[in-house]
Amino acid sequence: MSQRSSRVRNVFLPLELTAVAELWGSRFGIPVEAFSGYRFFKKANSIWAISDVELPRLSYEAIGMRIMNCKDRPWKPTTAALQVFGKYAARNLVHLDADCARVFLEGKSQEVDEAAAMECEPGYVVVFYRGEVLGCGLYSHGLLVSQIPKERRLASREE
Amino acid sequence: MDFLDRYRDIVPDFKAFRAIQSRPLFSSARINTLKIEREVLLERLTEEAVPYRRFDWYPLGLKIDVESPGKLVENLLGHIHIQEELSMVPPLVLGPMPGELILDLCASPGSKTTQISAMMENRGLVIANEPSLARVAALRSNCERLGAMNVAITRYDGRNFPRGSFDRVLVDAPCSAEGRERRGPGVIERSNCKRSLDLSVLQVGLLKNAIRLTKPGGVVVYSTCTYAPEENEMVVSAALNEITKSNESDEAEEPTKAHLESVVIPGLQECPGISLWNGRDLGREMSLSARYYPHMNDTGGFFVAKIIKS
Ligand SMILES: C[S@@+](CC[C@H](N)C(=O)[O-])C[C@H]1O[C@@H](n2cnc3c(N)ncnc32)[C@H](O)[C@@H]1O
Repeated sequence: MSQRSSRVRNVFLPLELTAVAELWGSRFGIPVEAFSGYRFFKKANSIWAISDVELPRLSYEAIGMRIMNCKDRPWKPTTAALQVFGKYAARNLVHLDADCARVFLEGKSQEVDEAAAMECEPGYVVVFYRGEVLGCGLYSHGLLVSQIPKERRLASREE
Repeated sequence: MDFLDRYRDIVPDFKAFRAIQSRPLFSSARINTLKIEREVLLERLTEEAVPYRRFDWYPLGLKIDVESPGKLVENLLGHIHIQEELSMVPPLVLGPMPGELILDLCASPGSKTTQISAMMENRGLVIANEPSLARVAALRSNCERLGAMNVAITRYDGRNFPRGSFDRVLVDAPCSAEGRERRGPGVIERSNCKRSLDLSVLQVGLLKNAIRLTKPGGVVVYSTCTYAPEENEMVVSAALNEITKSNESDEAEEPTKAHLESVVIPGLQECPGISLWNGRDLGREMSLSARYYPHMNDTGGFFVAKIIKS
């Protein structure tokens, strides 16, 4: 890789709100208004969001929160971002009961019944417990695979 | 613990001060209002039978009596943040408001950054600066877990942070951390004057730059979790003196002036900063800063000074 391209890859480039909102809208039905009040940046394969303010001219290591990874298809929302924007989602949601929520937070996979995964399409879903977003799951054919990052997982009870 | 002897003349009730060092301290946590309301969080803790006690002096502070509070589901979901009791003081003294531009010059792991962000209700901007790449990871992870959306991270040496005109700047300086003895015994045993003096050179550099980066009328808070006057009043006094001196040599520019304002947190008992140390006069103004001792509030130890740039 040339030096130039590696430098470009490490730069935060401003991104239109509509470009981000469109992706989240089409997968989760989140209205575009949920994203007003933020600015967006792209760096390498990640998209970042920060409160809508003018940024002073400095060299940045991070700008707000990393909200999605676009390296693979489909793009993947971060658990942290779903905890902010997921409450506005209208589809591809899974509602868990207390026991299943615990399994999910332990980072494990589980079968979920039709009622919990109302008409989810295969792919990333917003996982809820008592009306609150827990994080990101990967759903397909009745199986929910927890995407909770390792360092945010609950310790297993049995262990 | 003999090293503590050097503080015999400045710490009131020195015997109690010495005795409490070997008494461990409960963990404490701050309720993260960016993600949950205080009442709801308290209900959850009760529901899950987590033993806690509220701070007398800060509605968002809790003492939590469990072995690994970091593993509580409330912490993993970012509803609380495990943070030392007195570490919640400097942001309150700084007093950030929604919409302002704030610099946290020594930020990792971001306990105070995220408290500042919560006080600003995610509005305005916090620049969280941390030169150490390894420590930036923890800072980022805490900001994301706690849902702090108005924080941008930089990696300058704080002494060379290049530019800005900030409403408020926090310098929570690297220090010898003697005030953490109750949390991690052995700190005081490892303390020595040489180390404090080395650190003080860095600390003066950080504080001077912080004052430079603050807009006129703005606030700088300097804090450490140590007792050594070399890292506290002597740093503040030296930074203020050097600023005045550089005014004299540099007549063309608008002179920089800064003064201390008193630090008082209702419900916490503080001691005035000291004005005299080892025969050196640090200026009477230093008594406006605050020293917090473990035996007075059953906490760790902290030093906080509030500087107003005129
Ligand atoms: C006392 S800790 C800060 C704790 C933090 N404010 C919090 O509340 O979570 C001091 C930090 O200063 C950083 N530091 C060390 N040298 C520095 C320098 N030259 N400029 C800025 N920060 C520095 C250390 O890496 C360390 O993370």
